[in-house]
Amino acid sequence: MTLTTDQTAGAPAPALTRPLRYGGAGVLRQVSVLSGRSLRALREPALVLPGVLEPILMLTVFSQVFKSVSQTSAFPAGVSYIDYLLPAFLVTGSISAGLKSGVALTTEMNNGIIARFKAMPIHTGSVLVGRSIADTVLNCVNMLVMLAAAALVFGYGPDGGVLGSLGAVLVAVVLGWSLGWVFMALSAWVRKPEALQPIGGIVNMVLLFASNAFVPAEGLPGWLRAFAEVNPMSYAITAARDLALGEPSTATVLATLGTCVVIVTVTAPLAVRSFRRAT
Amino acid sequence: MDTPMIELTDVTKAFGSTKALDGVSLTVPHGTVLGLLGHNGAGKTTLVGILSTLALPTSGQARVAGVDVVRHPEEVRRRIGLTGQYAAVDETLSGHANLLLIARLLGATRAQAASRAEELLELFSLTDAAHRAVKNYSGGMRRRLDLAASLVGDPDVIFLDEPTTGLDPTARRALWDVVQRLVREGTTVLLTTQYLEEADVLADSITVLSAGRVVASGTAEELKNRIGHRSVSVTVRGADDRELAAAALRRAGLSPAHEDDGLVLTMPVRDSTAVAQVVRATDEAGVDLAGLAFCEPSLDDVYMALNHSDGR
Repeated sequence: MTLTTDQTAGAPAPALTRPLRYGGAGVLRQVSVLSGRSLRALREPALVLPGVLEPILMLTVFSQVFKSVSQTSAFPAGVSYIDYLLPAFLVTGSISAGLKSGVALTTEMNNGIIARFKAMPIHTGSVLVGRSIADTVLNCVNMLVMLAAAALVFGYGPDGGVLGSLGAVLVAVVLGWSLGWVFMALSAWVRKPEALQPIGGIVNMVLLFASNAFVPAEGLPGWLRAFAEVNPMSYAITAARDLALGEPSTATVLATLGTCVVIVTVTAPLAVRSFRRAT
Repeated sequence: MDTPMIELTDVTKAFGSTKALDGVSLTVPHGTVLGLLGHNGAGKTTLVGILSTLALPTSGQARVAGVDVVRHPEEVRRRIGLTGQYAAVDETLSGHANLLLIARLLGATRAQAASRAEELLELFSLTDAAHRAVKNYSGGMRRRLDLAASLVGDPDVIFLDEPTTGLDPTARRALWDVVQRLVREGTTVLLTTQYLEEADVLADSITVLSAGRVVASGTAEELKNRIGHRSVSVTVRGADDRELAAAALRRAGLSPAHEDDGLVLTMPVRDSTAVAQVVRATDEAGVDLAGLAFCEPSLDDVYMALNHSDGR
């Protein structure tokens, strides 16, 4: 800039000082600031309560309506229905949690705050990783609340003990984390919350009811049983359930966790890429 | 340094077979305001999207502060601020927390971020509302916070995409004041608007976009001279006077016109010296005028004329 024509140098800046540009933040700082932002939702009861209450309500309904399932022949002997049901609920709650990540992202893409982040000198992936971390933490809290409610109100107390149930929570949370990336990739692609919701609803419905979540797969009609046996959700539910019931199968748990990691490895780069492009 | 702060060369943006931008070129010198006028769908927002690295041009070149937006988007992002229908703030957070968030993301320490937030809240008269959630802000307050958020990193160039759409006149004027202040301090601004008055007040030069093309550009004054019509209108006290005055004005070489029973005679003129001519003619005819007005063309006239010639 030439010395003579610079009108900014000589002019006094009464209110708006022009400090040096900040040096920029590292990726870790970006992620922690952004996940902190998303977690602030925790301070707003209106945003958190439905997420906690809905599964508890569902639990009440299902544990009463399907109670008689435990009398059928396919049902494992000596297991109470609530002990059988709750691990499945942890897993299915994670589908909703994953969907919530995607919906939240589309909402923010439409209200403009994402555009602001994208026009800033930060890494695009930080926005998604920040959301993923925040939602995973939130999901963890929801699961533990559900666990506590089930134990206190419905007499949940499987043979696996506290550790087994925490193991089930871990499986569910890891699954929720990976589905979060699937739905974020989808949301960057469809861009509209109202388009994502029904997709999520259908996915939820199919993965959930065509599985061993509520009744043993053996008790389903043939065609449905065939699907339920290959449904990845059945594996996650089996993994969580076996952990909770105190008969963990290392192979099923590892297969479930491994699948989740593969899902994230594939969908996370896709999510970041389509997110960068979407305007 | 005379590098233009914004420079577009033959930029095209196609969505399928439709061209949102069709060969747009423009430059904005350092420390000036370019007003980008156009209807919805004229391509204004697409253009801002490309300049702020949110979208890629299909062809052509775009530079901000001398940096190519396609090749070095991360460098461009260090130099710009984006405000408007595109960029918003977090509604669940307070104004203070929003500014803190942006500052921290830009690498400010906690202390730096807090002092920058307070400084900007003060500048935008938001200090009293600093700790209230943004969702309880009025429209004007929210726009001011939007603009404040774009200024945290002290950008060289800011994009204001329809910054006052939906604001009441007082809030609009308050925002204009801040923009004018920023420009005085050396910031370069690209402003898109549908409000011609806004472009007239804020912009050093104006570019009119229509269907993705630049259909006119120049200063407000130049556009008015080129396209608009200046006129003089006189108000008389009765139908008899109107006929007398009309005859006298015609004799003076003017072409007055009026509504059927109206008492206002309006005639196109070349410039304000015609006012004297009008007064002389009516005075000689013995007509006592109830009113006299010289009308500059508004940008609305310019806008209408351009879009008419464009076949709209």
